Amino acid sequence: MNGRGHVRFEQIVKMHGNFKALKGVDFDIRPAEFFALLGPSGSGKSTTLRILAGLDAPTSGRVMIDGKDVTSADARDRDVAMVFQSYALYPHMTVFENIAFPLEMAKMAKADIAPAVQDAARKVKIEHLLERKPGQLSGGQQQRCALARAIVRRASLFLLDEPLSNLDAKLRLETRAELKKLQRSLGVTAVYVTHDQEEAMTLADRMAVFMAGEIEQIGTPAEVFTRPNSLDVAAFIGSPPMNLIPARLAGGNVIIAGQPLATTRADLSDRNVTVGIRPSALRIGPTGLPAKVDLVEDLGDSAVLDLDCAGTRVRARINHDDIPPENSSVFVTARPQDIHLFDPDTRKRI
Amino acid sequence: MSTGSGTSMDAPAFISSMDAGRVLARRERRFASALLAPAFAALLATTTFPLLYLIWTSTFRIDLAMPFTNGFIGIDNYRDLLADSRFWSSLSVSMIYTISTVVLQVAIGLGLALFVMGMKKGQGLFRLIAILPVVLSPAVVGMVWRTFMLQPEFGIVDFLSINAGLGSQNWLGDPTLAMISVIVIHTWQWTPFAFMVLLASLAALPDDIYEAARIDRASAWQRFRRITLPLLRPAIVMVVIMRTMVALTAFAAIFTVTGGGPGTATEILNLYAYRKSFTELSIGYGSALAVALLVVTIIISAALFAVRRAK
Repeated sequence: MNGRGHVRFEQIVKMHGNFKALKGVDFDIRPAEFFALLGPSGSGKSTTLRILAGLDAPTSGRVMIDGKDVTSADARDRDVAMVFQSYALYPHMTVFENIAFPLEMAKMAKADIAPAVQDAARKVKIEHLLERKPGQLSGGQQQRCALARAIVRRASLFLLDEPLSNLDAKLRLETRAELKKLQRSLGVTAVYVTHDQEEAMTLADRMAVFMAGEIEQIGTPAEVFTRPNSLDVAAFIGSPPMNLIPARLAGGNVIIAGQPLATTRADLSDRNVTVGIRPSALRIGPTGLPAKVDLVEDLGDSAVLDLDCAGTRVRARINHDDIPPENSSVFVTARPQDIHLFDPDTRKRI
Repeated sequence: MSTGSGTSMDAPAFISSMDAGRVLARRERRFASALLAPAFAALLATTTFPLLYLIWTSTFRIDLAMPFTNGFIGIDNYRDLLADSRFWSSLSVSMIYTISTVVLQVAIGLGLALFVMGMKKGQGLFRLIAILPVVLSPAVVGMVWRTFMLQPEFGIVDFLSINAGLGSQNWLGDPTLAMISVIVIHTWQWTPFAFMVLLASLAALPDDIYEAARIDRASAWQRFRRITLPLLRPAIVMVVIMRTMVALTAFAAIFTVTGGGPGTATEILNLYAYRKSFTELSIGYGSALAVALLVVTIIISAALFAVRRAK
């Protein structure tokens, strides 16, 4: 850990004409942290990364890196490295020249460039491809070349804009793990943009969930998963997504399809709520909400059931050993601590 | 497959499908040749035949002023040509004219293309205005420049020169100024071509590699030198090849502006061949000059194409 790479966003607003792409974004990234910016397309996460990189200027607000105000500094005056979604390799240069480019621009002595390039290429396992041009590389190799170009300069901030999205599923899983190991071994602060919640959950130390130009929640993946602070985050995180059911809270129980389910919130007065229950938190048992099994999606090690609870559609993820047949009647229940309550008007967690 | 009846009527059935395919292909080739023939014949008649006839003519002495001396002289015209100082002078004028105009066209065209790429508004209008000189006939351009631009006392260029304190100049009467003038006129007319080609190539370059270069701390000049120029290289070489071929064979604008003068100051090889053939009526020697120009053009173009293939 080098102690560098502390990022602070203060009330960042970005306007595109009349459209507010970012509506006052605040966050802090600690040195050596792997921080993910997660959100659906158009939520403002890439805009945030571009502002952090210095490729775009914010309309208002302050960007601080290592305590220094860099809001008006151009990308070349910030100590950042970036991997683009398209990799953005220089097509006329060999892999060696691509990786050496940032070092040449930093006016590193020629004798030191070759060992540094070799070292970076070795870290991402492309040392045998140094003489090739980007057009002669596969997608995965191009991605590694882009990574090598980013790590070679040992910048204080390492920015990644959906770097795995152009890889096939198998390669994506492999590279994901390698990326995490690489970031840990370099001890560098990494900011990772993705719309894939699984990627964010597995890679990030902490993450910010973006929705419509605002940060809905910042926390560790476990915090965001177990305590989503809004309906939007609850619906976005988790696969299959959380069941969100309109219900009535009465006496600490929520009434769904006429049946009560106990919650931990006996302190609340009676009111209408939206109940959130993760599919994996629903259990099939001898008592609970009566439901009919409409469809079974067998995933091999588990199964996702489409259930009809007196007209309310609910999805449950259950163990492979307990799969009920389709069209059978079952009872489902959930532990009080697994039942999330949201205000249907403000959409916030109660 | 044969039906097995064993009669002579079955013989054609034994023709293999391969043979049938070959027959069909031959027929198709014949039909294609028939379709191509008129265009091919027209091409032969209008390009190859005149070229061969030119080479043939260049081996004769054909002097319309002294027809009694006419006759086949083999390569004598070429021997004379190598010893002709006016040939070497016109060749050097051609080279100066070609190199200056091509370099200026590419440099100004690239500069304009980079400028227009950075324009937020008015790109379309700029392109429209920029392309206007190209659509004019070189002869018209020559006339306009001679009468409206370069005319002493009345021309716009002379007016600006007087106002700039440089005084009235004899733009087309002074050998150096005349050469500069014809170079400027050619550059003015054809820079938009280079501009349009380079602008299209620039627009096709992806933005993200420039962003990557900014992140990699490249300055604007380094981005231009290390990224833009190498990526534009194929387009630049193509523009250089096309403009060189045209500049080497330029005629109309110089003919209307200076007629090759004053003296032989702006007499490019093409103009010398014309003057020799149609002013001095020495058709054979004029043909040899034209062939020499053809050879020079082919050599330079081949060299440029070799540059294009390199790397």
